[in-house]
This record gives sequence, C-alpha cells and structure tokens, in this order.
Amino acid sequence: MYLLPFKEMTFFKVRYLLISFILFFVAILVFVISGLANGLSMNNASAIINMPVHSIYLQKSAEGRIDRSHFTLDLEKLTAKSEAQPIGIQMGAISKVNSEDKLDITFMSVKPGSFLKPDSKSLEINGGNSVLLDRSLSRTIKKGMIVKDARSGISLKVVGFLDDQTFSHTPIALISLDTWEELAGGSNKSEYNGIAINKTDLGLEKSISSLYKDGEWVKKDQVVKGIPGYSAEQNSLYMMLSFLIVIALFVLAAFFYIMTIQKTVQLGILKAIGATSSQLVKSTIFQVIMLSIVSIAAAVAFTKGFMSILPDDIPFIFDFVQMAKFSGLLFIVSIFGSLLSVFNIVKADPIQAMGRVE
Amino acid sequence: MMMEPLILEKVEKSFKDGDKENHIVKNLSFRLKTGEVVAIIGPSGSGKSTFLSIAGALQSPDKGKVIVNGTDIATFSDIEKANIRLNHLGYIFQTSNLVPYLKVEEQLSLVLKMANQWTKESKRKINEMLVAVGMEQRSKFYPHQLSGGEKQRVAIARAFINDPEIILADEPTASLDSNRSMSIIELIAKIVKEQNKSAIIVTHDEQILPLCDRIYVMKDGQLMEKGNKSE
Repeated sequence: MYLLPFKEMTFFKVRYLLISFILFFVAILVFVISGLANGLSMNNASAIINMPVHSIYLQKSAEGRIDRSHFTLDLEKLTAKSEAQPIGIQMGAISKVNSEDKLDITFMSVKPGSFLKPDSKSLEINGGNSVLLDRSLSRTIKKGMIVKDARSGISLKVVGFLDDQTFSHTPIALISLDTWEELAGGSNKSEYNGIAINKTDLGLEKSISSLYKDGEWVKKDQVVKGIPGYSAEQNSLYMMLSFLIVIALFVLAAFFYIMTIQKTVQLGILKAIGATSSQLVKSTIFQVIMLSIVSIAAAVAFTKGFMSILPDDIPFIFDFVQMAKFSGLLFIVSIFGSLLSVFNIVKADPIQAMGRVE
Repeated sequence: MMMEPLILEKVEKSFKDGDKENHIVKNLSFRLKTGEVVAIIGPSGSGKSTFLSIAGALQSPDKGKVIVNGTDIATFSDIEKANIRLNHLGYIFQTSNLVPYLKVEEQLSLVLKMANQWTKESKRKINEMLVAVGMEQRSKFYPHQLSGGEKQRVAIARAFINDPEIILADEPTASLDSNRSMSIIELIAKIVKEQNKSAIIVTHDEQILPLCDRIYVMKDGQLMEKGNKSE
C-alpha cells in the first residue's frame, strides 16, 4: 500500500515532473528574490545593520530618518558616558590627490574604538586626520594614500579598510569625532545626527532626553527602515515575494485539482475493491510531500550554485535561516494547494466503476 | 461456511428524477447459495446495476435487509462498507478497470495488502491465482500491454485473490468477442465451483446463460427466476 504513491509517480513521470518543475522554478525565484532583498539590504545599510546599537536618539521632526536629524552636542558632557555615543552621518565625496574624479561616500563619525565601531581603533585621535574606508573602495584607493574631502579640501590619510560599511548604497568613510568637527568648520559644539546606546537603560535614556529636548528614541531596525530608499527597495521585493507565493498556491492547487479530477474513476475503482477514502487521501498527501521536498531541496541546491556564478556586483546573500523559512512556507503552500483535491478524493464514488466503458 | 452468503430481503431503492421519485428496485428479495453462479438479465434501465451495487455494498438500500455472511449491512457506514467489499466481495467490472500504474502481480498484491492479508505465502498464492486464469506469463506486464481478454482475466484473478465468498460481475463480457466471452464465464464458473464460492453475473449476453446455474430476469424493479437452465 505504501508503495502505491511511488508507483503512480514513476508510471506517470511526465505529469509529476511537470508539477515538480513548477514548484522547483517558483522556489528558485522565491530564493533568488529573497537573497537579492537580503543582499540589497546589506548593500544599502550594512553600516547601521552591523552596528551593535539598541536604539538611537533622533530629533522628533526627523521622523525616524537619521540623515535628517541634527543635534548640537556638548561632547564634554556626553562622552563622559561611554554607554552613549554621538554619531554623525553626512553624505559627501572624496577624491584622490591630483585627481578630479570624485567618489561618493558617506562620512560617519564615531569615537574611535567605541562600541559603535570597535575596529575603528586605528583612527588617529589627535592631530592627523585619518579615515577608514569601506572595502569596496579598495579597488581604486590603497592603504596609506591621502584623499581629500571634496567640500572642505581637507586631506585625510587612509589607514585601512573595513568590511560591509555602507549607508544608502554609498561606501562609508569612517572618521573620528575630531576630524568630523574639523570637516564641519571646527568648533567645540558641533552638529551630530544622533546619540546611540547599545542596551536598554531607562535612566540613561531619560537623562539624555532631558539634556536634549525634542528628540525620541528610535529602535535600530526603525533607523534602518528610515535610510533613504531602504523601505522602497525592500517593500517592492517583498511584494514580489508575497505575490509569488500566492501564485504558487493557486498554480499548485489547480494542478493537483485537475490531476485528481482526471483520476476520479480510478479512485472509484480503488474504492470499489476496498480502499478507503483516508488511504487514498494519505497516498495523495504523501505524493505532495515527496514532490515538495524534492523540488524545494533541488531549488536550494540550484540557488546555491547560481550564487557562485553571479558577478560580484550583484548583491546576493544566501541566508540559510531565511531560506529555511521560505522553504517551510512553500512546503505549507503546496500542502494547502492539494487540500482542494482531498474533497474530490472523498467524493469519488465507487459506483462510477460500474457500467463504464473504457 | 454459510450456505447462503448473500440474502436480500424486501429491498427498496429509489432515485429522485426531477420532481418524480423513481423506484428502481421495489420489494426485491433474493437468496444466493454457495457454489452457484447466478445470471441476471433484463433490459437496460431495469435496475440490474442498482441491484448489483446494493448487493455489492456500494450503495445502501432505502429499505430492507442486505445480509452478507449473516450480517445486515443495509445501514453500514462508508468505511464499514469498504471493509465488507475488501474482505467478503470480489468485483469484476464491464471493463477490467485495472489500476494503470501497477503490474499484473501488483494488481493482486494491492488487494491483499489493503486487506492486511499479506503474508509470506502471498507471493505463491498470487502465482497460483495467475496460473488459474492463465496469466502467469504476463505477471510483469502493465495493463496497457495486455489485450482486453487478458485484462479481464487479471480482473477475475483480482476479484478472487482475497478469498471473497461472493463474486459480483457487471457485464464482464461486454467488451469482448463471443469466443473470449465464453472462456471468461467458463473461467469464473470453474473457480466458483473449485473454491466453493458464489457469483452473480449481470449480463445481456444470452450465449453465456447455459453456463449459469440459475437465471433471473430483472423487470420493473423485481427479480423473477426463469426456470432452470434446461428450459
């Protein structure tokens, strides 16, 4: 009895191959789009996503957008508390010495070695202005080179590169607070975009709120969503994903439904010789489970291979946890798709086997 | 062994046809004895198939008793009826109605496995059954590789494999030529006698009647015995 679903599948190979291919390609598309959504998300906002912060204090009127928020901070008061760190973000451009070609970057200022960017220790604190760049710039700029800020003309020494540091799809140029203030024109009271903390601390949050009015604490993922272009990008990809899954549900349901209708008489015969509805339903569900597992596993393998032939500049991240979630979702969708046919199996009448001419 | 494995008592069955109630089977009583082959003839629409589906636990009657091996199954649920079909009844349909994706021997093993009768002996039993219907050379064939007569032989083997007391055949020769029809009915009759079973054959193929022990005519929803076969 348990071999019955297998025998049916191997006998009607074409039918079952077709349906597996549908599921296989839908799964690939789901995985590729989700990998792309992931990749774009990192490509867009990795500087914030990878930052170990809990929440950031932003101006209320900025509505969660860190690039619009501005505070004039008294660093003496603030940096005494190492749990609260000022953060400055400014779009800009740099160029190599003796070159007119400008490179778009985003300046980000942190206290070197603070929790915001633990690997920023190599930034010089006093005197010389130095900068750490996102590794994507290492193709044109080498360690030890001098670059110029396009606006102020101030020279910065490149002391190294960091991985995955981007903001709104531009590479980060990480600078110290001193350099930030010098770029801004040099004063002790400089403008920063927000104050970051790395854990929930109501006392600290309150004391900062009272120090700087008209602000609010915004959670990290909200800050990420507020990055220009981030939500628009992610939402459109996730909309595609959800439509794909709905389409998969309907296509699979239609396919299973037609397949069941086609074998109604056969189900009637099996019932006439003594099979029960539940045996036949189990057999069908078993087929669906087999098909989904094989198709989804093949799609995961294909996506993994596909990733390795993708050119480097297409951002694509193969995230196993997310892949497993989508696999599970597709699996459930295909089971749901087959439920419609269960009604037909139960309805199939053994009397149909009688008086029928082939 | 029961001497009368199937008894129908005052069975009624009607269908709604538009507004009218259409009485297909009226006050029908029938007794089947062990070891006999009964033929049922009658014009189309007279209720032969309905009678067979009630006797074969495919449908429940509106009224009356259907006693299979001493148990009244008239009010059984679908699952209970499936169980009766599996263990006490064997079907032979108009067309063989074999499962298209199973080999000949698998058609038989499927029935045994569904009835939980699969043992070490089963392989041998299947082979014996295929020898009895002359199909042992074809045991690895799929239905689409067989001729109509061969398929019907496999269907006969399938009907007998789970040792049912009663064999029900619905126009088993309708899709066969006259030579093959005779040999198919001879085969059914032979196995029925050898194994002490009973069979009901619904047919309108007059040439097979001499092979049957009793002949009934279905008319206006009732069965009437047509003397004995010597007449």
